[in-house]
Amino acid sequence: MKAPTRGYDLEEKPVALDVRGVSKTFRSEAGKNVTALQNVNLIVQQGDFVTLVGATGCGKTTLLNLIAGLDTPDTGSVNLSDGLRFGDNIAYVFQHYTLFPWRTALGNVAFALQMCGMPRRQRKRKADELLRKVGLAGFENAYPHELSGGMRQRAAIAQALAMQPKLLLMDEPFGAVDDSTRSELQQMLTNLWQENHTTILFVTHNIDEAIVLGSRVLVFTERPGRIVREFNIDLPRPRNRMTQEFTDLFVQIRQSLSEQLD
Amino acid sequence: MNNEEMPSRQIRDWPKLLGWIAVPAVLLVVWQLSAMHVNKPYIFPPVSHVFGQLAHPLRDHYACGSLLGNTLISLLRVLLGFLLAAVIGIALGVLMGAVRTIRGLVEPTIEVLRPLCPIAWLPFAIVVFKLNSLAGLLGMKYGHPILDQIKLGMIFVIFVGGFFPVLTNTLDGVVGVRRNYLLLAQTLGANRRQVFLHVLLPASMPMILTGLRQGIGLCWFVIIAAEMMTGADSGIGYLLMYAADNAAMDIVIAAMMIIGGIGASLAFAMRQIMAGTMQWQGKEV
Repeated sequence: MKAPTRGYDLEEKPVALDVRGVSKTFRSEAGKNVTALQNVNLIVQQGDFVTLVGATGCGKTTLLNLIAGLDTPDTGSVNLSDGLRFGDNIAYVFQHYTLFPWRTALGNVAFALQMCGMPRRQRKRKADELLRKVGLAGFENAYPHELSGGMRQRAAIAQALAMQPKLLLMDEPFGAVDDSTRSELQQMLTNLWQENHTTILFVTHNIDEAIVLGSRVLVFTERPGRIVREFNIDLPRPRNRMTQEFTDLFVQIRQSLSEQLD
Repeated sequence: MNNEEMPSRQIRDWPKLLGWIAVPAVLLVVWQLSAMHVNKPYIFPPVSHVFGQLAHPLRDHYACGSLLGNTLISLLRVLLGFLLAAVIGIALGVLMGAVRTIRGLVEPTIEVLRPLCPIAWLPFAIVVFKLNSLAGLLGMKYGHPILDQIKLGMIFVIFVGGFFPVLTNTLDGVVGVRRNYLLLAQTLGANRRQVFLHVLLPASMPMILTGLRQGIGLCWFVIIAAEMMTGADSGIGYLLMYAADNAAMDIVIAAMMIIGGIGASLAFAMRQIMAGTMQWQGKEV
């Protein structure tokens, strides 16, 4: 679990995550072997906001699971920088079932705090503050099924932030909400990132979303899943979708995705 | 919006309203008229006789005790048997759901014993537990007026009645917990004990409660048969049979109404208890 000391250190920012030569094969229900990941290499620097874009079902979730420590790679290694520990400061926001349905919004946000033994009153205060931060003040006592899709994802982000993560993994967290809610959530996440400087690895199949959010966009292709291209996005935030640069990037990414389909 | 819904809901509820008042009333009238027509109260007693018995729940019958007293004894037996079934059923169900080895070892036996009607255990229970009662079990040499009535054989049969629904529902509940919730808890820093306590248990709680509801219903169902066992000398089921032997059909029917009423009340009470805990069930998002 040592920080890599290879020649990547061209920029000063320390490396948070180093994925080297990772492959993973699953056996499908039909008994065929499916290569979810093939020789994936990926470096994420501390404070980076990296988006992974690619078609649904191309192994992006598998990669996140490996990084989160929920699964182990067949070959290669996942190296986390010192101090990054699963179940401690790596948070993971899923697309579905992101909240415990038997807990209120407040109870969900306070979950991580409760697990590390914070006293009730203190964790209530912290959870209240986090809910306010994601715009859910007044919904403390609502159950997940009483919240809209967008509100649930806000609560899920607050739940993840409660553990003060150094690395935030997000698996298509805004995949199930309508467009205007999605833009609001993207804006909120950008603001939170600029405030906290949390390292974020964000998976999406939406090219527009990848460009709006990421400081780097990695293009992922399917079967076998691997990273084929990388774009540095240095457009000013909040990002304007109507600019020429934005649309140029969009077209480039779209092209590199469709090249892989042929 | 709400104001507009109100009258339509009232209109839609009319079958329920009639079902509670009009249908029973019509049945009672038909019963009373036909009983008067038959005019043989020892075979088909009129409503008035039966309600006469229900109106005097403390009246002693054949020195076997009153309707109320015997009902309370039956309830006590059922609650004890049910408690035992609930504790053992939930504990074993959770263990089987959480530990594959235990499930593998125990499940075949359970599957063979489960289809047995609890009443089939009655002769076995009589032979094994004889007439031993809770008083004897607690070492009371000269007996106890109430604890003597709690025959271990009956408790065993009631336990068997409640045990399997509690067990199978608990098992289904624990096995059916979404893997996502377990992963989520892990990523949020929960250790094994915390995952069990804060995820596995609450997530399977609706199914556990369903098991308890079915279980208490079956326990009450079984008590009547259990109180027919040799050596029984109290309980609403016993009184029912004894009254039947004495051609007191009014007491028989009064006892039947009490049994039905209590069964329905138990189901209602369980539903009320569950309502709060179950509100998220089927609404997972």
